Amino acid sequence: MASFAPRRRFDARGLVIPALIVAGWYVVSESGVGNGYVFVTYDRIWATFAAMVADGTLVASIVGTVLRMAAGFAIGAGFGLLLGLATGLSDLAGRVVSPTFHAVRQIAIFAWMPLLTAWLGIGGQTMIALIALGAFYPMVINVEAGCRNVPGPYLEVGRVLELSRWQTIRRIVLPAAAPAIFAGLELGLATAWLSTIGAEYFIAAGDGLGIILSASRMRGSMDGVIVGIVFIGLVGFAINRLLAVIARRAFAWRGEAAR
Amino acid sequence: MALAARVAEPEPALAVQRVSRVFRTADGAVPALSDVSVGVAPGAFVSLVGPSGCGKSTLLRLLAGLDVPDDGEVLFEGVPITGPSLSRGMLFQDHRLLPWLSVADNIGLGLHKQGLDAEGRRHRVQELIDLVGLNGFERAYPYQLSGGMSQRAAIARSLAPRPRALLLDEPLGALDSLTRAKMQTELLRIWEHEGITMLLVTHDVEEAVYLSDRVVVMLPRPGRIAATVDIDLPRPRHRGDPGFARIKAEILGWLGADGL
Repeated sequence: MASFAPRRRFDARGLVIPALIVAGWYVVSESGVGNGYVFVTYDRIWATFAAMVADGTLVASIVGTVLRMAAGFAIGAGFGLLLGLATGLSDLAGRVVSPTFHAVRQIAIFAWMPLLTAWLGIGGQTMIALIALGAFYPMVINVEAGCRNVPGPYLEVGRVLELSRWQTIRRIVLPAAAPAIFAGLELGLATAWLSTIGAEYFIAAGDGLGIILSASRMRGSMDGVIVGIVFIGLVGFAINRLLAVIARRAFAWRGEAAR
Repeated sequence: MALAARVAEPEPALAVQRVSRVFRTADGAVPALSDVSVGVAPGAFVSLVGPSGCGKSTLLRLLAGLDVPDDGEVLFEGVPITGPSLSRGMLFQDHRLLPWLSVADNIGLGLHKQGLDAEGRRHRVQELIDLVGLNGFERAYPYQLSGGMSQRAAIARSLAPRPRALLLDEPLGALDSLTRAKMQTELLRIWEHEGITMLLVTHDVEEAVYLSDRVVVMLPRPGRIAATVDIDLPRPRHRGDPGFARIKAEILGWLGADGL
């Protein structure tokens, strides 16, 4: 379930495809073979990038996106953790909540946009709500599964040692569920990231990398779109690496073999 | 060799009286135990031997309070067993150390009802680490231990709450033969040191004869007791002694394996 990529040694063969794309783009944009509006030259992309750095747009957008995502993720993952623990630890909660939860989660996140904009307006709150939804579902599912799939033999150890229900949860259930909970965080982070860019693109209020995309597209500036895409990739990558580092430290007990 | 006569004994520490246990499976009812009675005297070392399916582990789980009989009574010191208790320790074949806790934290897991403060707990854990010889591995995680060391830690964990009886479900079954022989000697030393009642489930007849005051031989389909053999060989025992070999042969005979 946990997909923390093993730390693999650098292999130059992985650079072949990016190099081909970069070179291909260069040939197509400089030769004039392709549509000049779509295949903008590196010179123009670089100039746009430099301008965005100079007027502070890029930094403001990165900060805006990261803060927005952090807020939405914290809310969604937090509630997801609580609900997942409730349904995972209590049969009653599971029976009452799960049917509704699994029905509601079939609704694509962006299908909530009309309702959310009606409730919260076209602005920051709706964006954060969409991001929170993205983090919420995977979190609930993984936390619940983690709590329910604690190996029976460990639970027997708790019984034999007369651990109370609370001690069993704290010393056995939660640690056993921790890898699944972390997988929920990782998955929630991935969908929250998608939601962040989507919400910014569609709602486009304030500063954000997704807002660079929609603004550039409206101005017909593909160079701006490319800068936005590159930084969306870079920020997404940075977030993922950060989580992998945290996971490695948190799960030292699994040993090298499990990584 | 004499079958244990029904001699007057002190009230048994562990007693199973006319117990039956049936498991329902897709293929119908499997009688795991059928009308089984066993008593273990306080401070005795008794082994249950028998082939797979003879109900010996089921019997142990009933005494641990992890399972309930369909019929009959299971008693500890004369009181019916209603669930697990710290006064009856349990040792599993797979050591079942919690992988996210260090050796010391695993050992301390059952100390919550001993009325110890942090210093007292630390002291008790250290005492047990000394007893099982795991010094220097207090902070290791289970994945860093060998099979024998893991089982030592599990023994320490089960002894931590000072149980009056220890139930051992093939705890040495997964170890290599050298480690196993060493751990048998360790078990005896711990039994003598702690002075507690031990009930061991094993399929290794030699292990049973080496360790026990009494061996209860069980047979499957339905799970039942075939014989009870008292071992009055002096300790320390030697596996090569003629007396040892004779008792071992007798038990193998009861198991229908003497020709093997």
